[in-house]
Order: sequence, then C-alpha cells, then structure tokens
Amino acid sequence: MTDLREARMSRVQFFRMMGGLAAAAAASAACSTKPQTTTAQGQPAATQLKFVGVADQKAAMDELVAAYKQVKPAVSLTTTFAPTDQVQTSVRTQLGAGNAPDLHVVYPGDGSAMSMSQIAKAGLLADLSDQAWTQTIPTGFKPAFQSDGKTYMYSAGSSVIGAVYNTKAFQKAGIDAPPTTWTEFLAVCDKLKKAGITPIALGAQTPWVTQLITYALVPSTVYAKDPTFDDKQRAGQTSFAQSGWRQAMEMYLELQKRGFFNDNPNGTTFEQQTSMVATGKAGMAIQVSAVLPDFRKSATSPSDLSMFPVPGADSADQVWIPAGVVVGLGASAKGKNVAEAKAFIDFLGKQESINRWAKAISAIPLTQDSSSTIDPAVQSFLPFTKDRAVPFMDQRWPNAEVQPVHFAVIQELLAGKIKIDDALKKMDEAYAK
Amino acid sequence: MTANIARGSLPSTARKPWRRFSSLSPSWVFALPALLVYAAVVLYPSLAGMVYAFTDWSGIGADKSFVGLANLTAMFHDEQAMGSIGNTLLLTVTIVAVQNGVGLLLALGVHVRLRSRAVLRVVFFAPVVVSPVMVAFLWKYIYNPDPAAGLNGLLGTHVDWLGDPSIALWSIAGTVVWQYAGYSMVIFLAGLEGIPPELHEAAMIDGAGTWQRFRYVTWPLLAPSLTINLMLSTIGGLKLFDQVFAATNGGPGYATETLSTVLYKQAFVFGKFGYSTAIALVLALFVAAVSMVQLYYLRNREVAQ
Repeated sequence: MTDLREARMSRVQFFRMMGGLAAAAAASAACSTKPQTTTAQGQPAATQLKFVGVADQKAAMDELVAAYKQVKPAVSLTTTFAPTDQVQTSVRTQLGAGNAPDLHVVYPGDGSAMSMSQIAKAGLLADLSDQAWTQTIPTGFKPAFQSDGKTYMYSAGSSVIGAVYNTKAFQKAGIDAPPTTWTEFLAVCDKLKKAGITPIALGAQTPWVTQLITYALVPSTVYAKDPTFDDKQRAGQTSFAQSGWRQAMEMYLELQKRGFFNDNPNGTTFEQQTSMVATGKAGMAIQVSAVLPDFRKSATSPSDLSMFPVPGADSADQVWIPAGVVVGLGASAKGKNVAEAKAFIDFLGKQESINRWAKAISAIPLTQDSSSTIDPAVQSFLPFTKDRAVPFMDQRWPNAEVQPVHFAVIQELLAGKIKIDDALKKMDEAYAK
Repeated sequence: MTANIARGSLPSTARKPWRRFSSLSPSWVFALPALLVYAAVVLYPSLAGMVYAFTDWSGIGADKSFVGLANLTAMFHDEQAMGSIGNTLLLTVTIVAVQNGVGLLLALGVHVRLRSRAVLRVVFFAPVVVSPVMVAFLWKYIYNPDPAAGLNGLLGTHVDWLGDPSIALWSIAGTVVWQYAGYSMVIFLAGLEGIPPELHEAAMIDGAGTWQRFRYVTWPLLAPSLTINLMLSTIGGLKLFDQVFAATNGGPGYATETLSTVLYKQAFVFGKFGYSTAIALVLALFVAAVSMVQLYYLRNREVAQ
C-alpha cells in the first residue's frame, strides 16, 4: 500500500513538473520568435537575413557578406553552406513548407529540382527585374536568369568546361602547346601515355563528374552544326539519338578504348581525380573552371595548373565550348524581409561585387569593366565566349530527370554494361517525361 | 517464461479494473510524454504524409491534384523502381544471413572464457556506434580501386569494389555486415549468458559433444535472440539508405539503387514528391508485412521449444 501511495504522490508531482516544463518551453519559444526591434544601445532595428547555399559559394559569399556589413550595418546576414545534395534536400523541404530562408541557392535555367525555372514557376522566387544590373545580362545568358521575361536569379558570371592540365606533366611528355583539334588532342594523350603519365584522370564515381566530357564535346559535335538544337529538341524535331550526341559519346568511349583514362574510372572519386592531376600523376582532367581552386589547393605550386578548351572537332574553327552561368542565388518570395533580401542582391549586382565574386571562383565576370580580372588559366577560352559558346546542356532540359539519367548511362557505358544506342534511348525517354 | 516476458503479458490478477489501472498507471503516466511526442512527430506526420501518395505534388508550391492510384501503377511500370526492389531484396537476404551468421560466431567466440574477451567484445561492437555515413566514407577509402591502396593492397588484388556494377552491391553488403555484425553479436551474447550452465552440465553428463550441446541446448534457447536479430536486420536491410547513398549514390548506373535511394531521388532530385511518397508507402507496407510474418513464424518456433 505504501508503494501505491508514493506512486500517486509522485504522479501529482510529475504532472506539476511536466506543467512547469511545458510553461517554460512555451515561454522561451514565445521569446525567441519575437523579433528584436532595438539593440541595447537603442540603435535602429537590426534585420536578420538568412542565406543557405552550396559549398562552392562559400569563399565568394563570405567576402561579400563582410563587405555588405560595411555598407549596411543594420542588416546582419547569417550564412549556411552544405554540399549540393544536402542543400537540395533541406531547401526544397523548406520551400515546400513555406519557411524558406530569405536568400538561397538557385541553379541557372531549368533542368534541376533547385533550378530558377522550376522554383520560379511555383511562385517562390522574388522578381528582381527592377534592379539595374538585370538590364546588362548578356542576351545569350538570359535563359539562365529569366523565366517568362522576368529575372529571378543572380549569378556573378560564367565558368567554362575544359581540360585542367598539369603544365609540368605536359613539359615532361614533351608537349609544347595545348591541342587545337581532336586529332591533336589524341596525339597529346598518346604522348602523355608514352611518358608513363595517365593522360586523363576521370573520377566517374562522383556522379556530376561523369557528364563533363560529353559536355565538353557536345558544343562542337551538336551546336557548332546547329545552334538552334535546343529549340528543335523542345519542339520534338530532333533527339539525342538523332544528333551529334552520338558522336560525342563515341569520342568519349574512344578515349577509354585507347587507354587514356586511369584504371577503374567508375571507382575513382572527384577528390582522387583532383589529386592525380595536381600531383602530376595524370596529365589532365576534363573539369569545370569553378573547381580550379580545388586543384590549386592540392598542387605544390598553383602555377602548375592551367586550362585549355577541349577541341571536339577536327577543324579548329568548328570547335565550340561550353560556358555556363555559375550557380547563383535568389530571394524567397514568401520571406519576411523580401525588400532587404532584394537589396542585398542589388548590392551583389554592382560591378565591383560581380568582380569580387568572379575572382573568388575563377569565373568570367557577367559584365566587365576596367577593374575586372580574369583568371589567366581561362584566358584561352575568351575568344570563344562571344559566338562559339553554349550554356551547359542541362540548363535547357525540360525536367530534372535527364541529367541523372545522363550520369547513370555514362557509368554504365564506362562499365561496358550498355551500348551507346541504349544510352541515348534512355536519355530521350527521360527528356520526353 | 521467456516467451511470456517477451510477449509482454503480465501475470493475471483478480483485481477490480480501477485497482488494476492504478497499479499500472505510474508507468503509463511516465510513458505518456514520450507517447505524445511520438504521436506528434512520428505518427501524425506519417499518416498525414500518406495523403501525398495519391497526388502529383512537386514538393514545392501549392499546385497539386488528386491522381488516385496513378502513382502506384506507375511504380510497377518503372524499370528503375522495380530494379531497386530486386537490389533491396538481394541486399536484405545477404545482410540478414551473413550478419547474423558472423554475429553468432563472434558471440560464441567471446562467450568462452578468454582472457581478452572483454576487449574483444568492445572491439567487435565499436563499429556499431559510428554513424553509417562515416562508415561508408571510411570504406570508400578502403575500397580504393588502386591496386596499391586499401583492401586491394592488403589482399594483393585488383578489384574495382564500388565501380564494377557486378561487385558494387556485394561491397556495400560487406560494409553493412562489418558494421552491424557486432550488434547481432551483443544480442546473441545476451541470449547465451541467459542459458543456465546446469543444462550444459546435464548434457555433458549424458555424453553430449560440443556440436550436440550447441544443437540441442544452446540453439533452441537462443530462439528469442534469433527472433530479435532476424527482425532488426531484415528491417534495416529493407530500408537501407545511408551506406548506399554515401558510398555509390545508387551507381554505377543503377547497380546499387535501393528502394530508399530511389524514393529519395524521386522526391528531392526529380521533384516528384507525390510519386516518391507512393514508393515510401509501398516500402512501409512491405516492411510491416514481412516483419509480421517473420514475427509470427519465429514466435511460434520459440513457444514450440
């Protein structure tokens, strides 16, 4: 009996305790949701802005957020960065739940679940069209920034896909100048191989790396022949299987057949690929210029690394290159501080900010003035950017499925599991969804 | 008795209902906050989320319409989803068999009076406490395809563990077994410790050898441990995600895609939240069905012995 009584007593105490806890939790929650309107010194209200971005944006954002603090001390911006997969998962969930951060990463164009077009269509991105910088977006890049004629995304410029090469390894193999035609490219690979250097490091275990060689070749095999390919494909007049995509994949596999890749590319990661080129174990890697800083970090001297356009055609004037708008950011249309978030983007749109962002990631600035600098490694791409460059292919694809299918079929091709016909058929099927 | 306790039935009493309630209530009251939290953060969202399985919601925005059973029928025509079911079942069967086999051997090994057995128990259990994503990243280094590095260097082989589509699935099963064999071991060990030594003594007096003692004394009395181990490893195998996602992301191609990675990709990469929820629903029902059949069968076996 004593036990029971004690149990009852403790139950009452227990309820009291739980009640107390609940009250305390409710009180603290109420406090934390109340926005702080004045600072201790009685200064004007501080606006808190939140930004969630991908790891590639960290260096540039850190610099520009610090600069913004000087310009507008009343606004404080907290930033969070994570790998693409994680950001995609968390930001999409927040967008779905209606509590997205004020500013968040947005991918240019269409074709991914976090792309400008797909989020703008859901009405979740603030319209930036009234900002001055949007008037200067080069015409060729407009599809990356705009949906239905309105600008929804900011990006500091473009990056290119080409061969990141180790200059010392090239010297060792007796190569004096980068190749300008496909035949020369194969000859360079041959020379490297004979010098005991893996010609091309390929980290195809990291899914996004698989696409880069096709992306580097397709501008020459598809768009140089027909610059309106994207529009025709959208209209159903052509397809991957009927186009130069086939040739690009044949060229991709030719590189494998000739033994120009490292062993087991499907088991090799981006990090291993980077270190192979940085240390001179491999001659080059087909990569996007935005990751140049990663290669430089692993090299003994940053000057060991440079880039050249991959020549996807046998006559130098038929060589086109992929130049895509780099990952950007947008303001949440449903946020509490849309005006302040847009003001920050307006700041990023100033020429000085564009220059700083572009410099941090070795990109070609969206617009240029006398103080713009261009990384010496990408200088050789500049002659192409005017009229022989096309945006990264996925930016014009109609849904988010084509790109992952492209990753998967490349891995299957490298493993010898499927034929090029099957690969193109699968991509066409995904495109039609 | 073991079966009784495991079934959660209490000794029957002839008390009045209220008396019975008040004697039980303290424990219920203590459980109540946890149950409320569980209902609020697990049960309610799960049930509310099921509704999306019958819509075409993209995951963002307000646009969604009711599509009936279209998502479920689409799933049975989706080559990738169907392929992932095959992979998931293969992985589960392998993991259940090998993990529990190794776990049982480890348990029998560290149950004997070895001087270092305390240390060995800790060593074998240690991988369990590491996050599965960390384990997958560690094994990515161990599975380096370079013949001079990692497992290849150790075995003197030249295998592309994660890059060869015909091997990658088994490599992933290997990491899971490596991580969780210690978990099975601990559960079997608890079962072994509970077997009264007199039974072994009696069997020895009757002239039973080591194998016969295992077969007729240890094995039947390990039945409850086996039930728990089989169920946990089956559920774990069917919903395997972390290790696959971190090690291969379903690749090369679609060779290691499981139902969980497919549903993740459908929701967050392809933006097909409704379809993804439909796959999740099928997975949940399938796991529940398998677990119930397993539990029914294994429990009967326990009672019979």
